[in-house]
Amino acid sequence: MAIVAPEAARVASVDVDPEAQGSAAVAATPLDPESRRWLDELRSAGETRDAAVARLHALLLRAARFEVSRRRATLPHLRGDDFDDLAVQAADDALISVLARLDDFRGASRFTTWVYKFALLEAAVKLRRRAWQGREIPLEPESWSLLASESTAPSAEAEQNELLAAVQDGIATVLTPHQRQVLVALTLNGVPIDVLAERLGSTRGALYKALHDARRKLRGHLAAAGFETTILEED
Amino acid sequence: MERSEQRDALARLLGPAEAELGCDECFAELDRYVELEAAGADADAAVPGLRAHLEGCPACREEHESLLALVRDEQE
Repeated sequence: MAIVAPEAARVASVDVDPEAQGSAAVAATPLDPESRRWLDELRSAGETRDAAVARLHALLLRAARFEVSRRRATLPHLRGDDFDDLAVQAADDALISVLARLDDFRGASRFTTWVYKFALLEAAVKLRRRAWQGREIPLEPESWSLLASESTAPSAEAEQNELLAAVQDGIATVLTPHQRQVLVALTLNGVPIDVLAERLGSTRGALYKALHDARRKLRGHLAAAGFETTILEED
Repeated sequence: MERSEQRDALARLLGPAEAELGCDECFAELDRYVELEAAGADADAAVPGLRAHLEGCPACREEHESLLALVRDEQE
């Protein structure tokens, strides 16, 4: 198991690096007429550019509202105005990101699809952070008991319990403290990666790399102990 | 904890077994991947490692689901 491409530097207002646009494996392809028009107008000057920027913001706001609408159940205490404020902030931030990265657009998709992902990302990150605002971030493996089986069943369950015990042992013995914190917070305690990144002063990409390394170590620990993890793929 | 819940927890702990992209690379490829999916093409062959990353990263998975839904919404 390996992360395929190296981690890129982060410059965006959120934790996934839109600079990675430039490292896309696909070579530049001929642009469709609509995408070409978007780029030409956004790179022009005066009223043409202003009008294009306004249309782009409207597009980003539509995507941000789409995301907010999908996730609003996660924030039952917020009012309608709060959600729309959040969508507008996401669209504003996405507009800045997109305008700064027009040269990264390679035509691998339509321009509108390319810009939508910036708005969805901004909105999703803001929603996750809002949902965890003021909440303590559990970093310690205090939920081990949650993994314990209440029954002492034979065969398959016993095998799974042994695997669980080996995983707990691996977490305690082969991971660095940082890897352990990241793994426990993200996979056992349900902390969103953007929230953890903000609290730790890190980035989504860096934390996922730590998570990936922790998982690789755990799998190696299990393999060395003679366990197979195919149990996870079985019904 | 039920057996199925234990398995879910184990799956989250261990993550995908195969090679995967990182979050930055996932974001870079997401628009192309989603358009291929929406067109019924083999997105996984075109962008190896992205599907595995979506299995291992809930945040990227949510954003993938939203972008695919938005693109399909526009197709209707």
